[in-house]
Amino acid sequence: MRFWLQRVAMAVLLLLSVSALTFGAMNILGDPLFNILGPVAGDVNNPDSVKLIEKAKAEFDLDEPLVVRYGLWLSDFVRGDMGVQFSSDGQPPVSDLIKERLPRTATLVLLAQLMAISIAIPWALVTASRAGRLSDRISTMNTFFLVAMPNFALAIILKFVLSIKLGWMPLTYVANDPLSSRLWQMVLPALTIALPVAAVFQRLLRTDLITTLQQDFILMARAKGLSRRRVLFRHALRPSLFSFITVVGLNTGALIGGSIVVETIFRIPGIGSSLVESVLREDFPVVLAIVMIVAVAFVLINLLVDILYSIIDPRVRR
Amino acid sequence: MSDNVETELLLEISDLKTHFRTPRGTVRAVDGVSLTLERGKALGIVGESGSGKTILSRSIMGLLPRSGVIREGSVKFRGQEILGKSTKEMQSVWGREMAMIFQDPMTSLNPVMKVGRQIAEPLMLHLGMNKAEARQTAEKLLRDVRIPEATRRLDQYPHELSGGMRQRVMIAIALACGPTLLFADEPTTALDVTVQAQILELINEQRRDRNMSLILVTHDLGVVAGFTDEIAVMYGGKLVEKAPTKVLFERMKMPYTEALLESIPRLDQPSHSRLAVIPGRPPDLVNPPQGCRFAPRCAYVRDRCLTEEPQLTAAETPGHVYACHYPVGSPEYHERRVELSKVSTVVGGSI
Repeated sequence: MRFWLQRVAMAVLLLLSVSALTFGAMNILGDPLFNILGPVAGDVNNPDSVKLIEKAKAEFDLDEPLVVRYGLWLSDFVRGDMGVQFSSDGQPPVSDLIKERLPRTATLVLLAQLMAISIAIPWALVTASRAGRLSDRISTMNTFFLVAMPNFALAIILKFVLSIKLGWMPLTYVANDPLSSRLWQMVLPALTIALPVAAVFQRLLRTDLITTLQQDFILMARAKGLSRRRVLFRHALRPSLFSFITVVGLNTGALIGGSIVVETIFRIPGIGSSLVESVLREDFPVVLAIVMIVAVAFVLINLLVDILYSIIDPRVRR
Repeated sequence: MSDNVETELLLEISDLKTHFRTPRGTVRAVDGVSLTLERGKALGIVGESGSGKTILSRSIMGLLPRSGVIREGSVKFRGQEILGKSTKEMQSVWGREMAMIFQDPMTSLNPVMKVGRQIAEPLMLHLGMNKAEARQTAEKLLRDVRIPEATRRLDQYPHELSGGMRQRVMIAIALACGPTLLFADEPTTALDVTVQAQILELINEQRRDRNMSLILVTHDLGVVAGFTDEIAVMYGGKLVEKAPTKVLFERMKMPYTEALLESIPRLDQPSHSRLAVIPGRPPDLVNPPQGCRFAPRCAYVRDRCLTEEPQLTAAETPGHVYACHYPVGSPEYHERRVELSKVSTVVGGSI
């Protein structure tokens, strides 16, 4: 119990420091006023401009010291209000923007991870049980190919073959389609993300499985007369999952902000594309909101990974 | 007629070879071993590490790596040849007819599976029990191997048990389906001295109760002394001496067997006396020495030993065979013995 309380306290501390650092860095390195008004911000001799400047300063509390502004942002954020966009007349509010886009990215990432895991585990089991044989070597070459291939290239190849040539898959994502067709439209982008990720997961799990398969308790399981398959699934898999779970967790967090290429190619208006747009426009509230979402996702997933550890291995239970 | 029942031949191994292909060459880990074992009897296989004793036991059972192994000769179990059988065919023999207790109870149990499940597994597989029956039987087995609070232990994980208890669990797993042949590969080496005797006693008692045959593999002649009917001594992948236990201790023929016995520290030696060791190392099994494989380390070596390999010969006692040109008791042996004792008194005197 104490352990989990500590974990939660650490998580809160981590989120506070991430937000403070991001908030501070953006405000010190950029000029919020300029980012809101554009060139008008420097036109201090024109009474019309001055009026606009005064209005913006009042709206965004720009005259307050940095610490106060951070405090204001934070109290809004924890209540679910992520502020107003600097650009596009401040519409829609950042919270609405995130609410609209986050589910798409989350679905994409989740679907991709599910695919990656369900490809990687059987793949690793097969190759580990035949380590060093021809099929294992061919598989190794394939993993290197998948990992080395840039994401956009894989996306284009998959799109070309499966959508354009064969016509099996939809070409792009359409935000107004019904849920079922939108899910179907997510399959190809998810696969694009999943394939190289699955290759990495497979390499990792294969290595751990090979180590486990040399353990005494595997020989013991064989001596009981269990079939190869049963030895693999019941005895070897579970103790081999630790680094696999860790990497799946870290990777899921990274994908939330990092699926930009795939989102662009398949025209999915998600978090990734918002992040790039807002960074280019120096739209601080949007950047900050996305950074916080990714950070929260990391924290939650790692908490989940710790819980999974204790489920898998009785020795780490407290 | 009653004799016939008594001496049912369970295992008959002839000229068993087990070689491993490695980048360095072919390792001749077991190089032509012949043995027989009757139902209900206990055979000890003794030798140093690297003598091939563990590989011999695994080779008899067929528990070897999938690739890079050459296994030749004949292993007849209950009159049936099992050497050529596939892994799939052997799976109905493993755990059911033949079971093995491994050396290290710390690493031989699955760390993430409850003890009860690990015992129940072969029961459900081979005897077709359902979960509840298997659990009940597992509990009974835990009691048989004298684990206190058996019911509670079923739901514990191996790390919650002591080393001795884990070894008992392993014995329970091995006994689960009532095998006719039990292999115990150094079953006490990883345990505290105080627990060792208990575990051996337990194995022996279960063997008697269940009329099982036992193959006890160990490097310690002292361990096999009280628990076996017969002892086979291995060196360099070969059988070098075999005799009924009592005969072996009274009239051993191989200088190697003698050296093994002398290397056990004894209480009647004065304290601080030097431990007797066998100088040198076991032979390289990729290029085993010509002639007798023990010759390079033997105190009684003569020219003939280095060139001509001694064959297994029968000693005067029935059932006793050995492979040595100048066995313990021969005139050449005595001659060298006298010379050696002179040298050791001279050395001893100068200290």
